[in-house]
Amino acid sequence: MSVDAAVETKTVFGSEVPQPPQHGAAGGVMRRLNFGTGLVGGIGLATIAGWVTAIITPSSASSDTFAPMEPTYVYLAVLLGWFIGFMLGMGAFVGPLRWVVGRDITHSDAEYMAGKDLGRKRYWKYTTDHKVVGIQYLIVAMLVLGFAGLLAMLIRTELGMTWTSLFTPSFYNSMIGTHGIAMIIGMIVIISGPLGNFIVPMMIGARDMAFPRLNALSLWLFVSAVPMLVSSMFMGGIQDGWSVYYPLAAQAPPGMLGYQLTIIVFAISTAVASVNLMTTILTMRAKGMTWSRTPIFVYGIFAASVMGLYAFPFFQYAQILGLSDRVFNTSFFDPLNGGSVWLYENLFWLLGHPEVYVILIPSMAVALELMPVFLRKPLFSFNFAVAGIVGVVALSGLVWAHHMYMTGWAPAANYPFMLSTELISIPVGFLVLVAIGTFWRGTAWTRLPLMAVYAVVFNKMIGGVTGVYLSDVPADQYFHGSMFVVAHFHYMLMGAGLFGAMAGIAFFFPKMTGRFLDERIGSIGLWTAFVGFQITFMSMFVAGLQGQPRRVLDFDDQFNLSNWISTIGAYVIGIGMLIFLSAIITSWRSGVLASSNPWGSKSLEWQTATPVPLENFPVLPVVTDRPYDYGVPDPYEVEFDSTDEDLTEKVGTK
Amino acid sequence: MSTETLIPEEPEAPTNRPPSMRRVKLWLQRPYARKILILNVVIGFLLLPLAWLLLAGMNQTGAPASEIMKDIEQTVFVFTIVSIPITAFVFAVLVYSLLGWRHVTGDEPPMQDSPAIRTNRIGVILWTVSSTLLAMFLVVWGLVELAQITANSFGSIAANEQPGQKSAEIINVTGQQWVWTFEYPEHNGLTSDVLYLPLDRPVYFNVTSKDVIHNFWAVELGVKVDANPGAITQTGVTANKLGTFNVRCAELCGMHHAYMQTQIQVLEQDAFDSWVRESGGKKTS
Amino acid sequence: MARRSRLGMWFFIVADVAGTIALVISYTYLWSLNVNGGWAPPGATLTASQTNTALPTTPPTASFAVEWPFWAILLVVVAATALMWFGYRSARSGNHAGLLIGAGLSFLVTVAALVFQWIQISTFPFDAGDGAYASAVLLLCASNIFHLLLLLFLGMGIFMRARKGLIDKANWYQAQLTGYYMTWVCVAFLLGAILTTFLVVSPNTDPAIFGTFKQQ
Repeated sequence: MSVDAAVETKTVFGSEVPQPPQHGAAGGVMRRLNFGTGLVGGIGLATIAGWVTAIITPSSASSDTFAPMEPTYVYLAVLLGWFIGFMLGMGAFVGPLRWVVGRDITHSDAEYMAGKDLGRKRYWKYTTDHKVVGIQYLIVAMLVLGFAGLLAMLIRTELGMTWTSLFTPSFYNSMIGTHGIAMIIGMIVIISGPLGNFIVPMMIGARDMAFPRLNALSLWLFVSAVPMLVSSMFMGGIQDGWSVYYPLAAQAPPGMLGYQLTIIVFAISTAVASVNLMTTILTMRAKGMTWSRTPIFVYGIFAASVMGLYAFPFFQYAQILGLSDRVFNTSFFDPLNGGSVWLYENLFWLLGHPEVYVILIPSMAVALELMPVFLRKPLFSFNFAVAGIVGVVALSGLVWAHHMYMTGWAPAANYPFMLSTELISIPVGFLVLVAIGTFWRGTAWTRLPLMAVYAVVFNKMIGGVTGVYLSDVPADQYFHGSMFVVAHFHYMLMGAGLFGAMAGIAFFFPKMTGRFLDERIGSIGLWTAFVGFQITFMSMFVAGLQGQPRRVLDFDDQFNLSNWISTIGAYVIGIGMLIFLSAIITSWRSGVLASSNPWGSKSLEWQTATPVPLENFPVLPVVTDRPYDYGVPDPYEVEFDSTDEDLTEKVGTK
Repeated sequence: MSTETLIPEEPEAPTNRPPSMRRVKLWLQRPYARKILILNVVIGFLLLPLAWLLLAGMNQTGAPASEIMKDIEQTVFVFTIVSIPITAFVFAVLVYSLLGWRHVTGDEPPMQDSPAIRTNRIGVILWTVSSTLLAMFLVVWGLVELAQITANSFGSIAANEQPGQKSAEIINVTGQQWVWTFEYPEHNGLTSDVLYLPLDRPVYFNVTSKDVIHNFWAVELGVKVDANPGAITQTGVTANKLGTFNVRCAELCGMHHAYMQTQIQVLEQDAFDSWVRESGGKKTS
Repeated sequence: MARRSRLGMWFFIVADVAGTIALVISYTYLWSLNVNGGWAPPGATLTASQTNTALPTTPPTASFAVEWPFWAILLVVVAATALMWFGYRSARSGNHAGLLIGAGLSFLVTVAALVFQWIQISTFPFDAGDGAYASAVLLLCASNIFHLLLLLFLGMGIFMRARKGLIDKANWYQAQLTGYYMTWVCVAFLLGAILTTFLVVSPNTDPAIFGTFKQQ
């Protein structure tokens, strides 16, 4: 029993196609909402909430340990006010509210929300078009990484100036904590956000994601979380490392609330994005795209989404429990009152480990995705690449307590966790095998994306081998909590992760912006950063071997030399990254225009026009070939079919 | 009916597949194959000194001062050596890909595609087998070593159930922001902020914290365990070298985490006893 | 479209399950550790009874929560779920009145569940600062409230959309998905009821005393 009278039709390719009935009216407040109104709403509601809370909280309110609670309550109210006001102002609640009352979004509304005919303005609104969301993610993620990178420079400066102290210990501690969590958040997003959103739907031959409004939601939730994190630095900071162990975190100033709410909101954003990506990949692949014809990048993004979906709630709830401890005086993590620090550690690392694969797998996947294009041969052993990714996902949830070898929580558990951690090196090794196999006998077209992959594989090997040391419990007995660990994870997350992101951005730049990323400047930036990276973190391994603990701003003289070298290297990284960034900016504005398929790729996303039209494909494609269908028959195949003694004449000298 | 009619007269035709050794030799005749293997060996030898360099880094302040630390160093050494072949192979392929096989620059995709190698059964099997063997070796080594070290340091045995080590010294370690306190319950509760250890006697640590999580790290002895508030963790060691070593805190514990360190003094049994006597403790055994 | 939404709902349930498991882990782990003897609310007796009138001179005691309200609220939520299932099945078979009744009643019963849950929380014989058990139970109940609020939103949406004819014989999948989610919420409530009934007194009866090397 439908409500509206006449059935509308629309002319598509000359025939009349009936349209679904519309149940609401088009237009309305929704069309006037954008980032500006979001800011107004957020700041407005934050101010009101803070002011009201300050009034109604008695100034004598204190916690059980006699700490004044008023700043905490006020800051909490400000953060919540900002969050709700900002999302209101952005128009995030429009969809759900209209659903509840049954006035659905009309078709013209949906087109408006997708940014049709809006030009530049659509980047500032709650736009559902996956391409817009992809670009938005890229900008915000780069801002977050830049902020974290600036903190890194300050940290290294402090560590390098061993004869003096630039910062107080508390501020230094909050710098390293904020640097850590901002980098983690930025790295989680840097590939799955821009490339997962912009590229994946086109790569599978779809017009958009499964839930376009959820797509916009996940982005703007992420945006709303960023000021919360930055604001924490002004409220005393996160002085407890990025992992925020309790009960040290209970001693922290109100800035800790910023961290907790950032994570709570970011976890919702990640869950929403994961649901979206997974449903899109499962249900919206083009006709004929069986699983064996699905590009490896799609597998990588799917894997990252799976891990993010099941693992992030643990981190989120750990922060909720911590928030409850702080505000409501519960005692989840307060050992005086029945709480357990090991509870926090377990909940945290249940996410903490899959999370590093959430960062690493998309990076390896994008590297594997672009290699066939630049080597003009198929991906080596596609099945093993998939097996590697699946193996990592399967094992990633079983290894978390290798971060807790030294905590004493369950010494007997160290044995099975050592086993599972060693085992996970096998599927990761498959990914390296696929990379090496793809390089094998390939004609390398040495453009920037491919050169970055060399850096990725090199760094991955070093990170992986040092990880082997750490996975061994007795060896970890020396290395845990030292700078060796810091160097190891920087090799994995930054060496393999960030350089992989740079490769992916360079690769997809022509499709996303219509221009080439300047090769010369980009390469100079990349290799400068690479050289600096080796200097910084090789030296950091040495510091760890010598016995320097992590998260210290002051140390014995024997560690001076390695720290000086690391700091010099860090400045080189900074210069390199700035050069790379300048390449991105100048190329975006005025780089060489690119055709729609400048790399000669056979993949679906490159078969769209550039700039990509709103609906991606005029007609949805049908897939009939395996992916990476490059390459000519192997001249060496011949030699195994005959018993000839001398084959060099037949097959040549290569 | 004779059986001869059912058996073919001629022997079966030979296949075209050359025997395996021949195939290996044929493969090795390919110029890239030999060169990559040579490159593999060269890079491997260049990486080999790392095994000693890693140890040199760890030994700068007097390590190893216990069997546990010696085990740890041996592990690091062996793990480095066994990881080198595969690592060097990967690096060799990376290098050869740029220098050996063809590469092109330029704005257009290369005109000629490369050989369409979708998979190579032998290569895949070789890699899988060798990486699995390597992982198994590392796991077994680690499990055995962990069992040994745990046995050496009573890692999971309660204080009053030590297996026959009557001469073990028990020390209670308390971490608090931002100092270490060592208590000797067998010597009348003698407390100290420098860790005195007797040479060549097993020492058993009970560790806890009074506020936040710290980590008791006796660097050159290779001892490390978290000091958790609300729980008692245990570890142990036998110091076998005289000298002065370091205790550092290896878990961020607040503002002065960097300064939460103290010394270890390993003394001969007699010197240890006299220290105990002079500091007001009492030798119980 | 229905297939996509169904998948989306499944994945959302996965995330919700993970979060609820986090709470279950918290409850169980803290129960097993009894750190510093702080699991039980101070003053709780060894048997999980409501108040201890046998200690006349002690100040007002906090104690473990009574078990039956958890199960009662669970039954109410199950009822709401059953009504929603009834509603969606009616829609499937064309019985629009059944859909309206089912969805509407489901909504009202959910409101009742919310009220009961709120009453239970406010009449707990402990407050947030009374140890790990109290903390864990309160967070479990907070999670219950959060689930019920979501159910309210979904239930109201289904009812209003049913009234407008947006949910009908041809297009009932949204009611079905709401039914799936409500079933999961029943499971979450069930987990809470099991924990608070069967895992009450901690098995660790001699935990270490905080900051010392002795045990209780």
